[in-house]
Amino acid sequence: MEKILKKSDLGKWVGKLSAFDCYAPTKENDHWEFNQVTYLDSLPEDYTQVNVPLKKVVLPNREVLFNFEDNRNGGPHIQEVLPEEKEVVVFGVRGCDARGVALLSKIFSESSPDIYFERRKNQLYVVGLSCYPLPGDNCFCLSVGGGPFSTQGMDILLSDIGRKYFVEVLTPKGEKLVELGWEFFAEPNDQDRQDRLRREKKAQEMFNLEIHEAEKKAGVLHHLFEDKIWKTESFRCLKCGICTYLCPTCHCFDIADELASPVPLQGKRVRVWDTCQFPDFTMHSSGHNPRPDKSSRLRQRIMHKFLYFVETYGEIMCTGCGRCVSKCPVGIDIVNILNRVESHEG
Amino acid sequence: MVKISDVRQEAKRLLEKGKVRGVVGYVPGTRGGWAIPYLIQEAERAEQLVWDPTCVHNLALFVVEEKKEQAKQKEPDKRPLAVMVKGCDSRAINVLLQEKFINREEVVLLGVSCENSGVVDRRKITHLLHGQQAGEIRFGDNGNIVVVVNSERRIFDPQEVLADRCLECQYNFPVVFDYFYGEKIKKTPPAPYAQVEKLESFSLEKRRQFWEEEMARCLRCYACRSVCPMCYCAECVVDPISFAVEPTTTAEEKAKKIKWIEKSPLLSENFVYHLVRAIHLAGRCVDCGECERVCPEGISIRLLNKKLEREALRLFNYVAGTDSQAPSLLSTFQETDPEDFIW
Repeated sequence: MEKILKKSDLGKWVGKLSAFDCYAPTKENDHWEFNQVTYLDSLPEDYTQVNVPLKKVVLPNREVLFNFEDNRNGGPHIQEVLPEEKEVVVFGVRGCDARGVALLSKIFSESSPDIYFERRKNQLYVVGLSCYPLPGDNCFCLSVGGGPFSTQGMDILLSDIGRKYFVEVLTPKGEKLVELGWEFFAEPNDQDRQDRLRREKKAQEMFNLEIHEAEKKAGVLHHLFEDKIWKTESFRCLKCGICTYLCPTCHCFDIADELASPVPLQGKRVRVWDTCQFPDFTMHSSGHNPRPDKSSRLRQRIMHKFLYFVETYGEIMCTGCGRCVSKCPVGIDIVNILNRVESHEG
Repeated sequence: MVKISDVRQEAKRLLEKGKVRGVVGYVPGTRGGWAIPYLIQEAERAEQLVWDPTCVHNLALFVVEEKKEQAKQKEPDKRPLAVMVKGCDSRAINVLLQEKFINREEVVLLGVSCENSGVVDRRKITHLLHGQQAGEIRFGDNGNIVVVVNSERRIFDPQEVLADRCLECQYNFPVVFDYFYGEKIKKTPPAPYAQVEKLESFSLEKRRQFWEEEMARCLRCYACRSVCPMCYCAECVVDPISFAVEPTTTAEEKAKKIKWIEKSPLLSENFVYHLVRAIHLAGRCVDCGECERVCPEGISIRLLNKKLEREALRLFNYVAGTDSQAPSLLSTFQETDPEDFIW
């Protein structure tokens, strides 16, 4: 379903969504983050991309799984804790972040349903914003199956066509949101459709970063487990968590017990973000560590995205948001690495 | 002006003669002309070395990293490692020498002077260029910074684009080196502790609010710790790796391991992490400012260290990293040390 929404009506529509928790990009210091808002009159003109991707809504950096307590006489007692029942609408989601959540669903919904993820995902309404112009210099979604007007993982896609948004309503959830403010939505005409298409075409020509034949990388990487590129490129790696924590698809976690009291035993079991870049991530209790150094960890990150995930789910686990390239403090560049390994073939 | 050709030539000579096992220096990165740290091992690659205002990284970190790497090897290459060092990098080397983490003969220091300039703050540049990508950033005359955008040359005053750490720095040339490039130009920053003093002027409540807002944003990616050349502990309390778990270690013994901090990025835990780090850096931090530069959330980490730096100066007249022979601040006691805080 296609609609038109005047920009000046955005706030009125959002005003009708009071039953939901609404999130939108807001500026903190010098970067954007999704924060809860009580009103939303407009999507900021200078908005580029949020720092911490949409995944934080479905896979928060701390999820309480259950409470536990040792009731001396009554024995141990476990109380399940589920995410709060609250429907959430996130505005201004870029295609890469929405695709990120769609890819995470393959792991947390399709293959082995995770009750916490599923509840958060089911409660999430994604209102995307297409990318024209591109939000960053390091965007490369087009080479990994996405695009500046990608709709995957979205319920609604808004495209800025001047004084109004071209609205693509993509799912029943999207329809529900539109129905709540139906009076603000009009039918698009041919000119609107052309405006939207023209912008999409232009946006596609704006990329200055590309992974050549990304879909073939799995075949190449397969032979590069022992390659020296990992050592050369990881020399400067800090072993910090920036590339993975800010990645829309990285989802590794640790489970920890947080004790409120050791005697009588009482506490929470939590799931927290973890990353393959940390030295203790693959540490076995025997003391053996199969990814003992930064070169094997850099390899792990890239192999997971462009080989292992492809083998398991048939898709590349990278949505081309460019954050790991932009935010790496020492300029480790996944696009450059993958383009260089082309020549290693054979 | 530093003549980079001289640095390249020396690096090349050291490698050709086999005097060093490698040269850690700056080479151009892949995106937008920002330098990256690089280990050069082949003499012909020395030509790639650069020295410009994007050489932001403290290369002393890689001396630490390589030392740890060598400890793991059965037959390590015992030749020294050559490293390009700015003023702040050289002070970090001094602390490593002072604490006997490294010996002087393990490093060959190619000292480069920042002269009357310094390195740039990427956020400031991005802001000034309204998001446009800089093609080239280099030193201009009188400490100015030349930024080339779409083949147009723009000249910025250092005040506009240099990192705060450089604007507040008085060690703009190396204090320890084997080779020296550029000029020693004395620089006196007008107000090195202006930001600390501003924060101190706030009420307790306002300061608490300030730090709570800062700490709440921490993702605990540990980039600040990982980039710090002074954070060289084999095991950090925040993510211990040597659980010293043997096949015979019982579950009970494992459970008894002290947990200093929760992994969750809760406000309380974030405070513990940052305060533990700050305290461990008292009298050791050389204010290279890398912790703040790398923070993806823009947390004012430097401010914490700067406060302790000023305390060390005020109470003990101590400045970290200026003398590798001096006793380190926290392992020394002098009868003249102030004790008026005891009553």
